[in-house]
Amino acid sequence: MANNELQQLLPVLLFILFGGMALGFAVAMVAQRNPLYSAVSLIGVFISLACLYLTLQAPFIAAIQVIVYAGAIMVLVVFVIMLLNVEEEVRRPVRLRYLVPVGVLLAAVLVGEATFMLQVGRGAAPDHFLPSRPSDVGLTASIGTGMYTKYLLPFEVTSVLILMALVGAITLARQGRAPLLAAPGNVTEEQPRLTAGGGPALKPGDTAATGRAFARAQIASGEAAAPSSGAREEEG
Amino acid sequence: MDWLSNQIGPDWARAVGQLIGINVGFIAVLMIVAYTVLAERRVLGFIQGRLGPNRVGPGGLFQPFADLLKFIFKEEITPSSSTRFIYFLAPIIAITAALMPIIVYPFGPRVWLPGIGYFHLVIARFDIALLYVLGITSVGVYGIALAGWSSNSKYSLMGGLRASAQMISYELSLGLSLVGVVLMSGTLDLYSIVEQQGGWGGMRWNLFDISRVPQVIGFITYLISAIAETNRVPFDLPEAETELVAGFHTEYSALKFALFFMAEYVNMFTVSMLATVLFLGGWQGPFVDVFPWLGILWFILKVSFFLFLYIWLRGTLPRFRFDQLMSFGWKFLLPVAIFNVVLTATILFFRLR
Repeated sequence: MANNELQQLLPVLLFILFGGMALGFAVAMVAQRNPLYSAVSLIGVFISLACLYLTLQAPFIAAIQVIVYAGAIMVLVVFVIMLLNVEEEVRRPVRLRYLVPVGVLLAAVLVGEATFMLQVGRGAAPDHFLPSRPSDVGLTASIGTGMYTKYLLPFEVTSVLILMALVGAITLARQGRAPLLAAPGNVTEEQPRLTAGGGPALKPGDTAATGRAFARAQIASGEAAAPSSGAREEEG
Repeated sequence: MDWLSNQIGPDWARAVGQLIGINVGFIAVLMIVAYTVLAERRVLGFIQGRLGPNRVGPGGLFQPFADLLKFIFKEEITPSSSTRFIYFLAPIIAITAALMPIIVYPFGPRVWLPGIGYFHLVIARFDIALLYVLGITSVGVYGIALAGWSSNSKYSLMGGLRASAQMISYELSLGLSLVGVVLMSGTLDLYSIVEQQGGWGGMRWNLFDISRVPQVIGFITYLISAIAETNRVPFDLPEAETELVAGFHTEYSALKFALFFMAEYVNMFTVSMLATVLFLGGWQGPFVDVFPWLGILWFILKVSFFLFLYIWLRGTLPRFRFDQLMSFGWKFLLPVAIFNVVLTATILFFRLR
């Protein structure tokens, strides 16, 4: 029946669509010069992969793919690109010239391997993409049961590893650094800088706090009159 | 429906039914959004002792359409030094990510219609509905972040950075405050979660369910982080007018601005629906088991309560400072949400033993 054939064909069409999208986004990611375009292409790759997982009847893995990779990790990448304002790459670095033959070689090995696998595995795999009998692989309950019973130790060890990475990152970031956010309580009042004549001076880039300290030093040395009580309250 | 399944088979009939449902759902949500905007302007007016828009149509009822026409006919301005492709992509991502989750919310019980038979009042029902909602919501951040970056304006960039930092931070406590409900229900399927809240005359909502664990803490943390997640007052730092002009959408005009505006209200609506479904029993309420169609009314009433709460808060509260916002999210809300997960899990462990 034509209807049945269409149902057989649909997973193939979806696979070609999402697989093609994943490949296209991956190529775009490598080829782009602008780092933000690369990041957006990588998000496209992750979302196409999630759609492929859905066609393979693994909805939980698809959702986690989107939440963790597209939703969390890539947001941080985009965030860093925005914060650092990474410039567009103007010309290719010279070292890439030596990497091109290596890349071609590795790609050839990968293609050869895939061909070999397809040749060996032919006949063993079913002709259609969807398994004929329902399987619980990739469903939430089966993954949860597996993760918290059979694979509990690897799961816990992985979380310790991630915790170590987190602590390490924080230690590296905080080493010899002042707090990033200039919030009240974070900013210490600096002593006013002195000019050659010995009097305090202000420079561009001084904060309001140094300005206040400067004014206080002026009042203390008698250069300026102390403000009225109302102004002093405002200052605090 | 039977005629359709005879023609093209039951699977395809279901697919056609869902396609129609999705389109009807989108149109319904956009209409609701239009009238939420009007309701916001009128209610804010009454809170502030003025009338609000009441000229177009009876009581201002056609005001949303007038606004839409204005948006369509305004001049499209594109900043000359913007990153063109991403500049146009950002509003598309924002509105798509806002509209996609609406298909999974159950808005009524199993009902009967002549010619169709029994069916569930939910457009798409699947195993991982809650994770789907969280996943699509987390993709929505890109709309705002990319809009801020691609406009090539310092106000937009600061607004985009603030918005994405805020959304990443509050997404954690949002997700964690839902874990309590998931632990109680043992499923991620929203329809089953609502079904389990039946009983006690339709009032056995997860919020008060003392036979398991009442999710009061989870509800409060969810509500606060949902307001922050949708960038609404008092967490509307990304578009603080006094500091940032209009935040990430400063450089957007005409219909592109309207897309961001709509996305914000659709997000408001979806987080209200999620709160209703998870904590307030969705369509459950008195007399639903006698007369199933009443479920839709209860659902609409509960969602309207949350929408009204949003507007009420906007008329009442001042804005946070950015460092207060961050330390509140990370140092208070997140630990409380984690505490709720531990508490719920512990009590459930001893009750179920």
